[in-house]
Amino acid sequence: MDTRASSITNPYNGPLEGDNAFAQITHNVTRIMQAPRPPLAWYIAFAFALSLLGVFGLSLGFVVWEGIGAWGHVHPVAWGFPIVNFVFWVGIGHAGTLISAVLFLFRQNWRTAINRFAEAMTIFAVVCAAVFPGVHIGRPWLPYWMFPIPNQMQMWPQFRSPLEWDVFAVGTYATVSILFWYMGMIPDFATFRDRSTGTVRRFVYGLVAMGWRGSSRQWHRYERAYLLLAGLATPLVLSVHSVVSFDFATSQLPGWHTTIFPPYFVAGAIFGGFAMVVVLAVPAREFFGLKRIITIKHLELMAKVILATGMIVGYAYAMEMFVAWYSGAMYEQFAFLNRAFGNYAWAYWTMIFCNVVSPQVFWFKKMRTNVWVILIVGIIVNVGMWFERFVIICTSLTRDFLPANWGAFIPSPVDYATLAGSFGLFFTLFLLFCRYLPMVAMAEVKAFIPESHVHDH
Amino acid sequence: MSEHTEHTGDDHGHSGSAHGSGAHHELTDSLRLNKADLGLSTKAFAVGGIALGLAVVLGGGPFGKQFQHSYLTAYMWGFSIALGALWWVTLQHLVNARWSIVVRRLAELMAQGVVPMAILSLPLLVPVLTHNDTLFSWLDHEKLHHARSKEVYLNPSFFIARMAFYFVFFIGLAAFWLKKSREQEKGGGVELTKRLQSTSAPTMIVLALTITFCAIDFLMTLDPIWFSTIFGVYYFTTCVLTFHSTLALFAMWLQKKGHVTSAVTTEHYHDIGKMMFAFIAFWTYIGFSQFMLIWYANIPEETHWFKDRLEGSWLPASLILAATHFVIPFFGMMSREIKRNKTTLRFWAIWILVVCWFDMYWLVAPNLHKHGMAIGATDILSWIGVAGLLMGYVLLRAKDTTLIPTGDPRLGRSLSFQNI
Amino acid sequence: MSDSEQTSNSAAPLYGVLAEYDTPTALVKAARKVRDAGYRRWDTYTPFPIHGIEKDMGITMTKLPWFVLVMALVGMATGTLFQYWTNGIDYRWLISGKPFWSWPANIPIIFEMTILFSAFGALGGMLFLNNLPLPSHPLDLKERFRRASDDKFFLVVEASDSKFDDKETRDLLGGTAPVVLEDVLEDRITSSVVPRALMYSMVILGAASLVPFALFAQSRSAKSREGRLHVVWDMDFTPAYKAQEGNILFGDQRAMRAPPLGTIAQGHLEEDDHMFTGKVGDSYAIGLPSSITATEATMLQGKQQFGIYCAPCHGLGGEGNGMVNERASTLKQGWVPPSNLHQQYIKEQPAGQLFGTITNGIRNMPGYAAQIDPDERWAIVLYLRALQKSRAASVDELSDADRAQLK
Repeated sequence: MDTRASSITNPYNGPLEGDNAFAQITHNVTRIMQAPRPPLAWYIAFAFALSLLGVFGLSLGFVVWEGIGAWGHVHPVAWGFPIVNFVFWVGIGHAGTLISAVLFLFRQNWRTAINRFAEAMTIFAVVCAAVFPGVHIGRPWLPYWMFPIPNQMQMWPQFRSPLEWDVFAVGTYATVSILFWYMGMIPDFATFRDRSTGTVRRFVYGLVAMGWRGSSRQWHRYERAYLLLAGLATPLVLSVHSVVSFDFATSQLPGWHTTIFPPYFVAGAIFGGFAMVVVLAVPAREFFGLKRIITIKHLELMAKVILATGMIVGYAYAMEMFVAWYSGAMYEQFAFLNRAFGNYAWAYWTMIFCNVVSPQVFWFKKMRTNVWVILIVGIIVNVGMWFERFVIICTSLTRDFLPANWGAFIPSPVDYATLAGSFGLFFTLFLLFCRYLPMVAMAEVKAFIPESHVHDH
Repeated sequence: MSEHTEHTGDDHGHSGSAHGSGAHHELTDSLRLNKADLGLSTKAFAVGGIALGLAVVLGGGPFGKQFQHSYLTAYMWGFSIALGALWWVTLQHLVNARWSIVVRRLAELMAQGVVPMAILSLPLLVPVLTHNDTLFSWLDHEKLHHARSKEVYLNPSFFIARMAFYFVFFIGLAAFWLKKSREQEKGGGVELTKRLQSTSAPTMIVLALTITFCAIDFLMTLDPIWFSTIFGVYYFTTCVLTFHSTLALFAMWLQKKGHVTSAVTTEHYHDIGKMMFAFIAFWTYIGFSQFMLIWYANIPEETHWFKDRLEGSWLPASLILAATHFVIPFFGMMSREIKRNKTTLRFWAIWILVVCWFDMYWLVAPNLHKHGMAIGATDILSWIGVAGLLMGYVLLRAKDTTLIPTGDPRLGRSLSFQNI
Repeated sequence: MSDSEQTSNSAAPLYGVLAEYDTPTALVKAARKVRDAGYRRWDTYTPFPIHGIEKDMGITMTKLPWFVLVMALVGMATGTLFQYWTNGIDYRWLISGKPFWSWPANIPIIFEMTILFSAFGALGGMLFLNNLPLPSHPLDLKERFRRASDDKFFLVVEASDSKFDDKETRDLLGGTAPVVLEDVLEDRITSSVVPRALMYSMVILGAASLVPFALFAQSRSAKSREGRLHVVWDMDFTPAYKAQEGNILFGDQRAMRAPPLGTIAQGHLEEDDHMFTGKVGDSYAIGLPSSITATEATMLQGKQQFGIYCAPCHGLGGEGNGMVNERASTLKQGWVPPSNLHQQYIKEQPAGQLFGTITNGIRNMPGYAAQIDPDERWAIVLYLRALQKSRAASVDELSDADRAQLK
């Protein structure tokens, strides 16, 4: 291996320093931060992400200037792409919390390789998600009305509305995720601090590490706090996407009003979120030299989770269809027939193919352990989950109770630009995270390798 | 710069404890029931049979309205234990769980409960065949508002055919798990265990659907106009709760009788307690979602089911359900120490079993008692009857096997595992 | 043995003794020895938490969970009380008929607040109990201690411990086979004074951050003669017409349009002409419409309505001598007295014509269609007939009992 040439394009192809497993893990992760420049692939990806971010800024600016008619919104489809995007991004965030919190409670120690990375993904996905409710309102300079701030109108928000619950749920989720993510990073910031060479770097990492020195007495309280936060984050993650599902389920619209929405949305969120984790993990481990930490076994386990949650989503589809038929309710039955055979049938079948059919390849071990298959299926599932929200939101709105009220929804170019642009925001933040923050939870990984075992005779 | 092993972060050989990796404990526990223990089985059968007989008499005969409703309540409660066990065994194979191996045989035995439940379903299914609408009002198609779909789904032949399918599947699956688990003891080892993991995945899918439709058929159709897509999930949480509570009590009784005394440790009870706690919260989540969504949209087609449960003395009953099924056990079981102490865990296990029965009652009885809760002797006797017969059968099956799957290659990890 | 960096610190007193180990096992064994020897002020430093070390060090369970529980309850109470006060007391508004306090609708936010407060409690409590942030520590002066966050394990016994002894403690630790055994001196070289630049910038930033709040407070309490700022002219000055505006496009110059001719409100089709106009075909109806029955209840209703609407002008007896008439006559401003309802021509009018008069008015009498419902108007007609008959009945039409009274 010509280390010099390849280190221009990728500084992480070299062997790991360190005479013991712990030092190797430290080196594997801190060299990403210590390298004078990231690999070429990072620059290419960052340029692409930044340009999409620019597109995002421009399209949002245009919408604020012209009004939300710039999107394809038209009666009766008052909720179009922005809400689809919102639910899509919030959903993606959920996998990170699941990996951090739920898998921790289930003692699945393989999570330690990917949890930092997944939590980061959660934060950035929630940031992307939060933009949309703020911007999709008719007067986007007034989103602060959603918060209970005393004002001269002496009015308060309507707390009995699911849209207001969203504000609190997503806000709490963002806050708790950041707290959890930050707390997890404190020991790793300490490692970065201790391995940094420049004064500025040492100062900044030292500041955010809060003076962590790894005292076991501190570790004890830290671990309790971690367990408590994991125990809190678990019902939180269930509640957040349930609250998002309440936006639809509390209505009376056929196709929206159904009691299974809360767990169905949560399962779908985990499904889509894991797909996004996989889409990020495959290139990241390749380009940042993390293959020894994020191994094929991890990817295989994630593929299994994708298959399992995909089946739960399939179960929910089946229950909806069964009850629509069983209830004998004309509007409900029509809503589902319309989804499958109406104007937007192409979206419906795309969704079925992407969500139900494509993960089935993961029944085969060969497929589960092939990096390319995992990456492609991850992308397909993300597309499918976006279409699921599109089918639920837009097709149900185009065909509600009164035929006189039916309409068509045609997305405008600005809709597409905003959607694409949101990926720009996500990837920009994510690539910056890769560059400057500890991508892997070093302390947690170290705690579960065989060398960390205490041997009693 | 030597080659490095991959850091899978797996707890390979590290079960989170200070014990040596892979070191097997010498299992010196008693692993089989003895004759004296089996005496309980006979007693259970006797008590169960007599209670059920009395219930029949007090409830207006086998097809009397009160008996049918009381019996359905007790039946679905008992069934939830067996189904919960069946689900749990499938799950343990699916996720390659290691902590639970020591108690898996107990669950496999509890899953055999689907056999007596199949036989015990006859008092409920015979009226369907004879078009006796004492329990299932949909037998009178006039009540279905001429909904074609309901006439297709809710007629005796399709209903019985579905029931036959469910029971064949449940009994077959339960037998399969027990058989394969015992095969491990004959030296099937790692290969067999891996194959069991692959089998568990498709069976889990079918199990999810059959449990859902079983709950729909027995409970949701009592009110043929009402529907709720989350209903299957709601019943499923009851299955998980009753199963875990019974598992804890089963293990404690065995230990009191001197079996598996060192194999099942505080750590295992802690994990069982955690699942009980978690599913109390999960039940609340599912129950609340169902209620709130129907309340919020306020569609009469859906709200009448809740109205039936919020009028007259059903309102305090519903409040009691919320208090006893959520508030009290949630705060009661929160503490780590409570889950690790056998006495407190036993208390909460019994509490949950009682409260889950009450949940079933809340689901079934408003169909009969429109004006208020009226728990009577028939309800209690039916409950004792089903419980006794179920318990008797499970213990009977236990006599033929060891109480721990000694052939499972992961047993060592289960014996030595420690909690966070 | 001291590090080269510590030469300027070498006069400092002893903080403690540091032992370094390569493996967790070695550290744990050493920790047990130190614990068993009865030391209290000591600690181990590891790059990751070692499972079970609490037992090996004698660390008791932290109180953090209780703290989190308290915060959870505070969050729950805040969420409940705040929603109850804002939506239930301070500014109530009816939304789709839901009660002001609707617990199913209020629970999601209560739940989120509980979790939010608990999370702050967990992190904040952990930092507080751990004494973080901890900017400086004597161990920072030891270069090799940097590896505590990397791959080495350290055990430090503080000199301030009551059992600490220069020789015995070192011997104890030496017996655990550490890689390195060193002294740690107190930190006497790091300045504990906050650097000037940092201090000034914090003060300036702090003051600057208060400026927006001050501006808010000022604008809230001050009055202004200027109109509000219009940022988005399109929305504040819309091309859409407002209700009372003029519009030159229409003949009557009004923006507001009446409903098209023939528009009927739901439930107001009013097909029964007899009932609603008093006419059958082109001529007035003779009797009551089919939906009105001549019962005692109808009669009493008619009497009540007559007393409310008709009697002020026409008088209680229908003679035209009501209070309004009495008063208006004295004013001598050109008052035309209301009709005496017992005149022959009125008695000969069909019931439908009477109804029409009440509905549409006649001469100076306004129409009462807006004030009296059609069925009540018919009741008035019924009562009027009774009133007219009461002045014109013959003795033979009386019942025996009444006739007996006359005698």
